[in-house]
Amino acid sequence: MAKKQFMLLASLLLVLSVFLAACTGKDEKDGAGEKDTSKDPGKDTEQTEDGEDAEEVEEDPNAGLDFPLTVTNTGDPIEGGELNFGLVSDTPFEGTLSPVFYSGAPDADVMSFFNESLFAYDGDYLITNDGAATYEVSDDNKSITIKIGDNVNWHDGEPVKASDLLYSYQLLGHPDYTGTRYTFMISNVEGMPAYHNGETTEISGIEVSEDDKTITITYTEATPSLLSGIWANATPRHHVGDVMTGEVTMEELAASEKIRTSPIGFGPFKVAKIVPGESVLYERNDDYWRGKPQLDSIVLKVVSSASVLEALKKGDIDLSSVPVDQYLNAKEIDNIELLAKVDLAYTYIGFKLGKWDAEKKENITDPNARLADKRVRQAMWYAMDNETIGKELYHGLRFPGTTLIVPVFASFHDASIETPTYDPEKAKALLDEAGFVDVDGDGFREDADGNELVLNFASMSGGETAEPIAQFYMQNWADVGIKVQLLDGRLHEFNSFYDQVEADDPKIDIYQGAWGVGSDPDPSGLYGRTAAFNYTRYTSEKNDELLAAISGEQSLDTDFRAGKFKEWQELMVDEVPVAPTVFRYALTAANKRLTNYSIEPGTDLRLWQWGVTE
Amino acid sequence: MLKFILRRTLLMIPQLILLSLIIFMLAKAMPGDAVTGAFMGNPDATPEQIEKIREKFGLNDPWYQQYGRWIGKAVKGDFGQSYTHQQPVTTLIAGRVENTVLLSLFTAIMIYLMAIPLGIIAGRWTDTWADKMIVTYNYFAFATPLFVFALLMLFLFSFVLGWFPIGGTVDIRIETGTWDYVVSRAKHLFLPVMSAALIGTYATIQYLRNDIIDQKIKDYVKTARAKGVPEGKVYTRHILRNSLLPIAAFLGYEITGLIGGSIFIESIFSYQGLGQLFLQSINLRDFTVVTALVMIFGTATIVGTLLSDIILSIVDPRIRIE
Repeated sequence: MAKKQFMLLASLLLVLSVFLAACTGKDEKDGAGEKDTSKDPGKDTEQTEDGEDAEEVEEDPNAGLDFPLTVTNTGDPIEGGELNFGLVSDTPFEGTLSPVFYSGAPDADVMSFFNESLFAYDGDYLITNDGAATYEVSDDNKSITIKIGDNVNWHDGEPVKASDLLYSYQLLGHPDYTGTRYTFMISNVEGMPAYHNGETTEISGIEVSEDDKTITITYTEATPSLLSGIWANATPRHHVGDVMTGEVTMEELAASEKIRTSPIGFGPFKVAKIVPGESVLYERNDDYWRGKPQLDSIVLKVVSSASVLEALKKGDIDLSSVPVDQYLNAKEIDNIELLAKVDLAYTYIGFKLGKWDAEKKENITDPNARLADKRVRQAMWYAMDNETIGKELYHGLRFPGTTLIVPVFASFHDASIETPTYDPEKAKALLDEAGFVDVDGDGFREDADGNELVLNFASMSGGETAEPIAQFYMQNWADVGIKVQLLDGRLHEFNSFYDQVEADDPKIDIYQGAWGVGSDPDPSGLYGRTAAFNYTRYTSEKNDELLAAISGEQSLDTDFRAGKFKEWQELMVDEVPVAPTVFRYALTAANKRLTNYSIEPGTDLRLWQWGVTE
Repeated sequence: MLKFILRRTLLMIPQLILLSLIIFMLAKAMPGDAVTGAFMGNPDATPEQIEKIREKFGLNDPWYQQYGRWIGKAVKGDFGQSYTHQQPVTTLIAGRVENTVLLSLFTAIMIYLMAIPLGIIAGRWTDTWADKMIVTYNYFAFATPLFVFALLMLFLFSFVLGWFPIGGTVDIRIETGTWDYVVSRAKHLFLPVMSAALIGTYATIQYLRNDIIDQKIKDYVKTARAKGVPEGKVYTRHILRNSLLPIAAFLGYEITGLIGGSIFIESIFSYQGLGQLFLQSINLRDFTVVTALVMIFGTATIVGTLLSDIILSIVDPRIRIE
């Protein structure tokens, strides 16, 4: 028996290790080498997850490739059309179909067809008055009054009430809430911390009117993030059950069939049927507040990234995202059109400059870090040939990164800042200037004190491009005389990579990571002195000052904010705590029979108008 | 016999405890946990908030405390809450079990339907062209990795010929409970089942063939032939009775193997079963689900072994277990 037990254990170990090794890159949609740290780019951008807003992205001024944002088919949609949507994911959707409780990106996609935010958003990701509700911000910018339209009804015919929006806040702030969305924009609501700690059952900062159609939310501090960050997803209290009266518990609610198999919203389509983890059938919502939707029904199917192109080719699915590594093949398919927008994400090389002080909860920069001299960091940026990476490995779907504010944010991204581009000579000059010269004649430079310099580079495994990219950068750096080796001589699996980076493993000097940025460009959460995610541990007075200004009250003035953003971007380009490597395009494939479909920012072509022409 | 079964069943308890202990420690040794994954890259998340949730789920306690809590509930059938799915693990698994059982069952049936006749033919008519073809097929089946074969099947029958759907368990447009629904399920099952069955036959064929060849020259067969028993009867009555014994004994193991083997098949055909859930949960570090599933797979293995022993003792009168 002992032998069998051992065999069992051995095979379990094998199975585990195979999956650990093989599957790290699997849930990443674009199959890219470096994993987006936010596996779900939508998770920190609540408002982009609902309804048509998910598709809205600012037009990119740097767009090098000529991708359309809108389908060319302008024919009239037919009656009774059905759209097949392919949800490209190697992990099935979990089916937690509630904006408050869900965790994975696939669930957000499933929700986008039936659930809608109370607000519409413009190209800058700011709320507008074109949505199901209108708003007004008080003069002191501390409170917002939201009025829900009279003709906005849940799928079961009940009107959407102000107390339904209040319910979302009650759930998010609930002491038993274990999800990821108790964020600043929630805790900043007046009285929320007390409610969150269970001291009271009332949230003092939220007031619902007599007729239950108007709600006023007051914040502790005025913030420029209000218009992009406000939570505006109502939860149908009458449908899912009320936690406040003890009708259900938080745990029961999250597991409830009411949000898993029979969820309701007030979007243009209703959920007719769900095959868990596999497919969803939506039917037209004739009572939709904007009008009767064009399509009769939508079928959503989970498609693995391996078979998505075949399914598109056969017409099994009409609309889906396309993994970046299949771009060349996708181009060859003639019944589809490729649309693309720049993603809210960037890949970067981070330089470890200090440690996280868990006691003080702040980042401590070490002036004696190996890469403390900013000229060395600049040189390493100059040494990287990102253009070639983008062209050769991503066929132009990635392009050299510039500043830390992605170009999507047209009002804040500053394209005029000169950022390092591939220039090995310049890199060498900078290194010479910093005193990093080759003393012992082995072809590699020593540090300023003449000690041998070998940098440890941590990079993630996953996808076919991970290894070539890491090797390419190491070659780039070797070309200018900096010896870089892979941490432990290999790539690291996603979780263990971030474990080590997060723990400031002293072995790591540089690492390659990626951030998915939210729709609020405020970088404090990633680069602030007290930000745990500031993995480089870079801090400076100037940085503190600029970040404070960006999220401060004065920044309610967009011009002021843009000015501070510009200064901050310049500071980051000069100090180089991280060097952005590439920005990326996200590809969408649409069958040519699709009409009225656009991924353009603030487009007037919304989900309810989508149609098919044959 | 009863005593034997009882003893073996009792013996399963320490085995399962040991198994659970190993699983639990291995799972905890993996870098990251479900909370890391969920919060990673969410710049809005504060360390306090993450800490609070870890505390709430008891993830900060020493492993033996966590293990104690877990095992205490597990014996009552409560495997805890899945963090990623926000749902009790038992509900989650119950939702998938049907699909996996269907897949495994039909695969097992197909394997035996194909393998037994082929094995008999190959064994009885050794070195004929039929035997050579079967043996060639067998080498091919033995050498081909499941995931390669399944992908080829998918490519050929779904993509190129378009005879079968590319994945899933059922066409959502069809109303549940109708005849069309059953047909749709069958159509979705066909490719995954055939992919697993066609190359899952090798062990059975090989055993059967070799055993028949062995038995052919045994004394009792010679005796039967000498007594003038017709050739057909020699096989059906004498040889097969003996040769099928090890096959029958394999049945228990087979069931276990199929549950484990379905991980590849389920992933390739986007088939919502336990295998896919397992894979996904490992990626997301959803420990409660992983440990529960490994416990299920482990239990299946142990029960399968027991089943095999019992079957063997029933079919083989030479073995009498006291």
